[in-house]
Amino acid sequence: MLRRNIRQRREYLYTKSLEGPQRALFEKKRRIRAALEEGKPIPTELRNEEHDLRRQIDLEDQERQVPKSIVDNEYATANIREPKILLTTSRNPSAPLTQFVKELKVVFPNSQRMNRGGQVISEIVESCRSHDITDLILVHEHRGQPDGLIVSHLPHGPTAYFGLLNVVTRHDIKDRKAMGKMSEAYPHLILDNFSTQIGERTATILKHLFPVPKPDSKRIITFANRDDYISFRHHVYEKPGGPKSIDLKEVGPRFELRLYQIKLGTVEQNEAQSEFVLRPYINTAKKQKTLGA
Amino acid sequence: MGMTSALAAAVSTGRQVFPSPCHSVMVMDLDEPLDTAAAEKGEAALRRLSEADPALFLSPSADLAAAARAASQHIYSSLAPLSLAQPPPLPTLLTDPAFDAEQIWSQIELLARPLLPHLRRQLRRLEQQPPSQQPPVATPAVAEGELLEEDGESSESEELKNEEELEGTEDEKESEGTQDEEEMGDEEEEEAELDGRGGNGVEDKFLKIDELTEFLEKGEEEEYGGGAKRREKKAAKNWMVESDGEDDDEDEDEDQLDLEDFEDDDEEGEAGGGDIRYKDFFEKGHHKQVKKRDGSIKKVQFKDDQAHESELDDSENDDGNDEQEQGLSTHEKERLKMRAKIEQMEKASLEPSTWTMQGEVTASKRPKNSALEVDLDFEHNVRPAPVITEEVTASLEEMIKKRIAESHFDDVEKPTMLPSKAPKEHKELDETKSKRGLAELYEDDYAQKAGIAPAPLSISDELKKEANTLFKRICLKLDALSHFHFAPKPVIEDMSVQANVPALAMEEIAPVAVSDAAMLAPEEIFEGKGDVKEEGELTQAERKRRRANKKRRYAASHKERPAKLQKD
Repeated sequence: MLRRNIRQRREYLYTKSLEGPQRALFEKKRRIRAALEEGKPIPTELRNEEHDLRRQIDLEDQERQVPKSIVDNEYATANIREPKILLTTSRNPSAPLTQFVKELKVVFPNSQRMNRGGQVISEIVESCRSHDITDLILVHEHRGQPDGLIVSHLPHGPTAYFGLLNVVTRHDIKDRKAMGKMSEAYPHLILDNFSTQIGERTATILKHLFPVPKPDSKRIITFANRDDYISFRHHVYEKPGGPKSIDLKEVGPRFELRLYQIKLGTVEQNEAQSEFVLRPYINTAKKQKTLGA
Repeated sequence: MGMTSALAAAVSTGRQVFPSPCHSVMVMDLDEPLDTAAAEKGEAALRRLSEADPALFLSPSADLAAAARAASQHIYSSLAPLSLAQPPPLPTLLTDPAFDAEQIWSQIELLARPLLPHLRRQLRRLEQQPPSQQPPVATPAVAEGELLEEDGESSESEELKNEEELEGTEDEKESEGTQDEEEMGDEEEEEAELDGRGGNGVEDKFLKIDELTEFLEKGEEEEYGGGAKRREKKAAKNWMVESDGEDDDEDEDEDQLDLEDFEDDDEEGEAGGGDIRYKDFFEKGHHKQVKKRDGSIKKVQFKDDQAHESELDDSENDDGNDEQEQGLSTHEKERLKMRAKIEQMEKASLEPSTWTMQGEVTASKRPKNSALEVDLDFEHNVRPAPVITEEVTASLEEMIKKRIAESHFDDVEKPTMLPSKAPKEHKELDETKSKRGLAELYEDDYAQKAGIAPAPLSISDELKKEANTLFKRICLKLDALSHFHFAPKPVIEDMSVQANVPALAMEEIAPVAVSDAAMLAPEEIFEGKGDVKEEGELTQAERKRRRANKKRRYAASHKERPAKLQKD
């Protein structure tokens, strides 16, 4: 089992590493193909390689023209099997943090909450693997306010580190009774404005936390990217007067996520390769839009 | 006091404007005897008021009020002819008991207000001109004054009385009184008083005009050096010197000379601020002897250079003197200021600068708690965290609603399941009794194993059978077309009618690979051996031989069977 894991991890990393140059190659081929179709001269930087690539281009069919993404490897079984999530916190959580984690448990279908106690992260990950859990979510806090979220996809998958801002929990709202019970149907998802490559990656990571919903489900979870801050909103809707009128009712916690790292290993692998790291101290940090538009 | 006398004089002269037998009549009116009576009554009232005990005024009394009304009416009518707008807007003061204090006051003001600026001007002129000189305006009045004096002493007594009354009213004004009294106090008299004291009304405990002028002069001294008036002239002169330094214009030299002359004149004793007049600049021919400040007399010459030199010398000397006396030219002053500033800046740059101006400062290098007081400015490289306002929430909800309406969600897609193995064939159990007996089934099995009989087809569905055969046929054709080394299809032994098609029809231009194994073999077409003869060709011996063979065969085959039932 250990050896298998190691082997699988190596495979995963290898294919991931191939993805980079493969993508570059794909880009070059695409440009040559476009130039040939339009009748324009081939760009000068590709002249040398054009001869070699031409043969490949000619033999390519529709399937081969699109580069194969490693997402197929990581999330290959995600479509078939439903995701199974384990939620836990940092050590010695405060009462507001435990409340928040309880709320998150209701938000994610098919999820379990576990007390942290004194466990070490590697132990937790091992037990998750043995129980066939697909995702591990850790929540961190600062003086009662939740301020960190780590989403780790489990077989060997990527880990996304988020910072939480402007957290409003259901417990904060006074008349909880009026809000009623939270629906536990499988929700529909809205992922808005994730247009760059890293944005797409984040979108898949967040998307595969949820199972396939029924088409008529009334529960909506939104991840909207505005200016690199992802807003999480949870609504239940109904259509009282025909299909055109939509009545949204906000339910569940509301917070902003800020992505600051994506690593290619699980949480316990400190030396894993980073796919993306936020760098706010460079001079052009203000201009960068990493997640989209 | 002079002012009151002047006013009294004016009043008296005013009185003389309209000469009449009665000395006290002032108003040109139709009802002369009535006016006289009224005037007497008014004067009586005034006398009454002046004689009254001041304490009586503290409580309202109808008696005094009536007296006050009468007195004010009298005074109004005496002053009405003096108003600038003749005829006066209101000929008499209406003092019915029904009239309010405010209304009477406003009537008085109607008359008095236009007079105020006129009186002020007069007073100022009187102030400015020396007392020996005659006031230029009063000439016609004076003549009439002389006329009056001829009339008699009663007018003088009247004047005196009026003066007293005026003063009395002033006193009354100063004491506390009822509202009626305040109106009665004549506004002109008040104004005269105010003007007479020369701005004393403006002064306060805080504001003293003399101190103000002192202060202003001191300030000007600092700016320009001693003697504001002198400095003004000096400034003007120096300005001219500087600007026309290159031009040696005769005129300007003369102008400068003229200024100097004028300056000395002013020094001699003019009280007012130095007014430069036209004649000082543009009138030539001044040959006054210019006095130097130290007292020596210098003769002025008209030659250009000498005059200019003298001028310059003069100015330089003056400058030198002025420095001693703290009077510098503006240029000099500016230079001094600049020098002082430069020195200050040099000193400052030699000293160590404040901690905010130094580069990297640790806590030990700056005073305690100084970073709290300073307004530090950082350039923030990160965009600030978003504040979730109502507009943001509203925009998000709108987007969500739009997506719901379109049913455009980004859910995880369920993949289409590819079949991993073919669906099992379900064997249907037939309930009907089998037509063939068990023995026959065993027989068939044995026959299959032995290879005698062909194997039955195992596919249950007929359609499937058909499809299979069609497919196999197509495959065979394709193989024939595509392979170099063709392997013919395995023989399917099915009971099909073999068409005995003539060979010619089969021999088309078809590839050789189309085998003709399905065709009937020649033996199947004809069985026989040797010489084949037709019926007609047979000889008799051959016919007999054939018949005999036939009989023999027939007998052999029918031997075992018992003979058929013969017909009886």
